[in-house]
Amino acid sequence: MPIIVNLDVMMAKRKISAGDLAEKINITPANLSILKNNKAKAVRFSTLEAICSALDCQPGDILEFVKDE
Amino acid sequence: MNINWTKERSLAFTRFLTISFLVVAGALIFLIPFITIWYDSVSGKDPIVIVLSVCFYLCDIIAIVALWNLLRLLTNISKQELFTEKNAGCVRVISWCCYGVAAVFAVLTFWRLLALIVAFIAAFVGLILRVVKNMLTAAAEMREENDYTI
Repeated sequence: MPIIVNLDVMMAKRKISAGDLAEKINITPANLSILKNNKAKAVRFSTLEAICSALDCQPGDILEFVKDE
Repeated sequence: MNINWTKERSLAFTRFLTISFLVVAGALIFLIPFITIWYDSVSGKDPIVIVLSVCFYLCDIIAIVALWNLLRLLTNISKQELFTEKNAGCVRVISWCCYGVAAVFAVLTFWRLLALIVAFIAAFVGLILRVVKNMLTAAAEMREENDYTI
């Protein structure tokens, strides 16, 4: 998958648990798990905005493009 | 008016009809020999008891398979599982059942030309169900994409 979600790295840097983040950005822990495990097919701008706001980071810190070999 | 109540009642009625047809299809297994003999006696044409019995038995088996899949489909609908690959699979099987009946009646056309009408209708219904199946598959893909949009 060319787009990698590095949410767990950012969460570890900010020392925030999945449950706390899910509550802060108002999504279910199950949906956060889908996002964290790179199983999501799309991310809404509103979700991305909430994550960036909660983790005080840029979208580029969470999303990474990796070229297919 | 309680819409939910009407929906559940409608589903229950459809399930009742499907089970009724399933019972009739099951009973036909024992009745087909009598029906074919009776048909031969009133038709006044060349006797085709064996051909007719084979065709009717094949169609009865196909009908039971189709009705069973219809029942599975209704169970999934009552569980609110609408646009899934499982349901698309059920509709696909029912569609192939229609084509099966069309093939059986197409063969029967060699003995009774009127069977061509039944074959045509069955093939047409099969075609419509195939389009419904394609639509369900597309809807299942869309639902999955929507479910995985966070």
